[in-house]
Amino acid sequence: MTRLAALVAACLMMAACTTTNVKSAAGLPAAPPREARVLLAQPDIELQLLTASGLLEPRADWTTSARTNMQAAVETTLKGRSHSLTVLDPTTAMEGREGQVLRLNGAVGNSILAYGLMGAGLPSKSGFDWTLGEGAQLLAVKYGSDYALFVYGRGSYSSGGRVAMMIGAAALGVSIPMGGQQAFASLVELKTGKVVWFNQAIASPNADMRSAEGAAILTEALLKGLPL
Amino acid sequence: MIARHLRAATAIAALVVLSACATIKPVPAGPYASGGNQITVGRTWTDMGPLFGASRGVRLLSIDGPQLNRLFVIDGLKAGEFILRPASKERPTPTWKAGLTPTEQVEFLADTLAAMQYHRIETDNLRPVKVGERSGVRFDISAQTVDGLNISGIAQLVEAQDRLYVLLYLAPAEHYFEATRAEVEAIMASARVTG
Amino acid sequence: MKRHPTLRAAITSVLAASVAVSTVSPAFAQRTVGQRPDITTDEGGLWAQSDKAEMEAKTKAELNRDPELTLYVREVACRVAAEYCSDIRVYVMDRPYFNASMASNGYMEVWSGLMLRARSESELAFVLGHEVSHFSHGHSLATWRTMKSRSNVGMVLMLAGGGIVGSLLYLGVMSTVFAFSREQETEADRLSFERTVKAGYDPAAAAALWLSLREETAASDFPKTRASDTRGSIFNTHPITPDRIAALEALAAGRAAPSEGERARYRAQIRKFLPAWLVDDLRRRDYGQTLHLIDRLAADGEDLGVLEFYRGEAFRRRRLDGDQDKALEAYASASGRPDAPVAVWRELGDMLGKSGKPMEARAAWETYLAKAIDAEDRWLVEASLKKLNEGSES
Repeated sequence: MTRLAALVAACLMMAACTTTNVKSAAGLPAAPPREARVLLAQPDIELQLLTASGLLEPRADWTTSARTNMQAAVETTLKGRSHSLTVLDPTTAMEGREGQVLRLNGAVGNSILAYGLMGAGLPSKSGFDWTLGEGAQLLAVKYGSDYALFVYGRGSYSSGGRVAMMIGAAALGVSIPMGGQQAFASLVELKTGKVVWFNQAIASPNADMRSAEGAAILTEALLKGLPL
Repeated sequence: MIARHLRAATAIAALVVLSACATIKPVPAGPYASGGNQITVGRTWTDMGPLFGASRGVRLLSIDGPQLNRLFVIDGLKAGEFILRPASKERPTPTWKAGLTPTEQVEFLADTLAAMQYHRIETDNLRPVKVGERSGVRFDISAQTVDGLNISGIAQLVEAQDRLYVLLYLAPAEHYFEATRAEVEAIMASARVTG
Repeated sequence: MKRHPTLRAAITSVLAASVAVSTVSPAFAQRTVGQRPDITTDEGGLWAQSDKAEMEAKTKAELNRDPELTLYVREVACRVAAEYCSDIRVYVMDRPYFNASMASNGYMEVWSGLMLRARSESELAFVLGHEVSHFSHGHSLATWRTMKSRSNVGMVLMLAGGGIVGSLLYLGVMSTVFAFSREQETEADRLSFERTVKAGYDPAAAAALWLSLREETAASDFPKTRASDTRGSIFNTHPITPDRIAALEALAAGRAAPSEGERARYRAQIRKFLPAWLVDDLRRRDYGQTLHLIDRLAADGEDLGVLEFYRGEAFRRRRLDGDQDKALEAYASASGRPDAPVAVWRELGDMLGKSGKPMEARAAWETYLAKAIDAEDRWLVEASLKKLNEGSES
């Protein structure tokens, strides 16, 4: 999902509280399914340090913590609702048709971010109507799952030097990008390939996924409206 | 420092991403034209608006967004003109010329696809078609995006009055191409070169 | 054409940093075999990014998946890497530019443009040894640290991790978005020379390869390219200058000669990729350079059917005055070779037809139809013949 992050960067804003943008497909049952089997792809998260000079420095320790924390928080939520989980490392599944379905999932996710979240959307589409097609059944069979949940996170945290510079610059009336973190999640009904739910969450300062507590808060916002 | 040509290549690949912010318009069922290249669509498509990195006569229609389906409707190219705009003078993109054999016409399209950052491009099943009263050719395409997503496509080329009229459709081979194939074949059959 | 503003800013800023870097070259300890950085360090961050880029490389369309070729290149890399062999993983990418790069986690990319331009295993080995030397002596990390230490408030750079810049970052994360200094390049030349000689390769290969790259630059169709520096990797800002070549020639002086048949053995490894890689090179549309490359490939007299066919293709595509005749000559020559691709006769027919030689065109097309029984485009050639016959009857 490389183009995804470009759109993320283009829309990053400072937010005082975690904001969300939930979309659901039409025609979902009134009551969520019980004891669903969910294929949880390992969260694709990258966190970086934004230095004073504007360099984005990858931070392996933050990234690893965030991945672990977000996965744990999502697992806790789903298990708490009596669903069962299979965890998938997508990097092991990129060959053959399975790999095509996962790549297509990336393209669909990018398209939702570009056209599915904003007001009117594409005039050639009505409602929130996105699909991976019949290939999703491959995942259903291979992993014995009814749904697949994909979680994606990108963000940066400003270094002390950057924050100081920001404050200084603000005093002069110049605004400098601060860094921020976003997460996206999508739920695919594997029998049909339909994306039944999608959410974009912009993290507030108290939803810092580098800590278990922060990840739990971010996950609560991220999984808002999840039809499971 | 990263070689200028690669930088340019990745900028052109952004052809589609940047159009996300441009003005998009509905194309209702019925006629649609890019200059003299006219088609009839059977359902509502979206015109994705002006494209960064393409010639002015290049229009892009989509249903689900350009990563999931893209129909290029290209007004008549004159000799020396390109579909994809070169990033710099010393990094030319494929230009059409008069007097090309059908094989060279296909090569021009395939080279343009390569310049658009598609890989493993194969063209297949070149066949003559009638486009109104004119003769043209149609052929199948298979390729991959840079990330390895398999793409299927169809192209239709008509040469009329020393200009080349192109219709090019590309979509992921997984689900999306087959889902729209019938509509696209009908669109190609409906094409007319006017003027 | 207006470039995307963020992209221009990104390039300008990184370029500004790299120009400043070239004057500082901090001493750096040679890495130990199997060394892995602490996850909390900057090196750890770069390592993890390199891991990610490596995962992506495995899924890219351009990955050359031929197991024999990959194994071969890996073996050459291992030979020059010596003690670091276990640290390295090699991926061949079908990209028509001269490049090999190594990321800080030991993942190496070798591009088809390099494979096509090396004339022997010794020449390939030198370039791989050069990259291994950047890796073993931590050049990219040194450069990254120097770049970071410049706290330049004026430099506001948003390297967003995706989209256009994402592609650059992927390419960049192979630790070559960082400019190597002239000292680092010279050091890598010298270290690689030592490694390759120790591994039994031809000492003269290094200078010969760098020299041929300069000649290819000079052969470009484009004036700015001809005037530009030659680079040993598409990422490096430090060019292959005459002094680097002279240094390598001096090192090689008086040393033993190359092994017999080395070039033929190397050609055997890449033979089956010549057509696909030459098509990729033709698509760069710098026909002067492609023709120079073909001349170089043809120098030993092998694969002339294929090479002369592609020489014809270059002239056919370039279409300058006189190119039609040159294409004809090349196709005709190819047609006499045992390895001529069957398409030669179709192209010969088309070109003869255009040159007003209908009798010869007919002969060529008929030969094509006789040889290309299953060809998809038979109907086109049949149509051309029909048109010719109808024309001659009127």
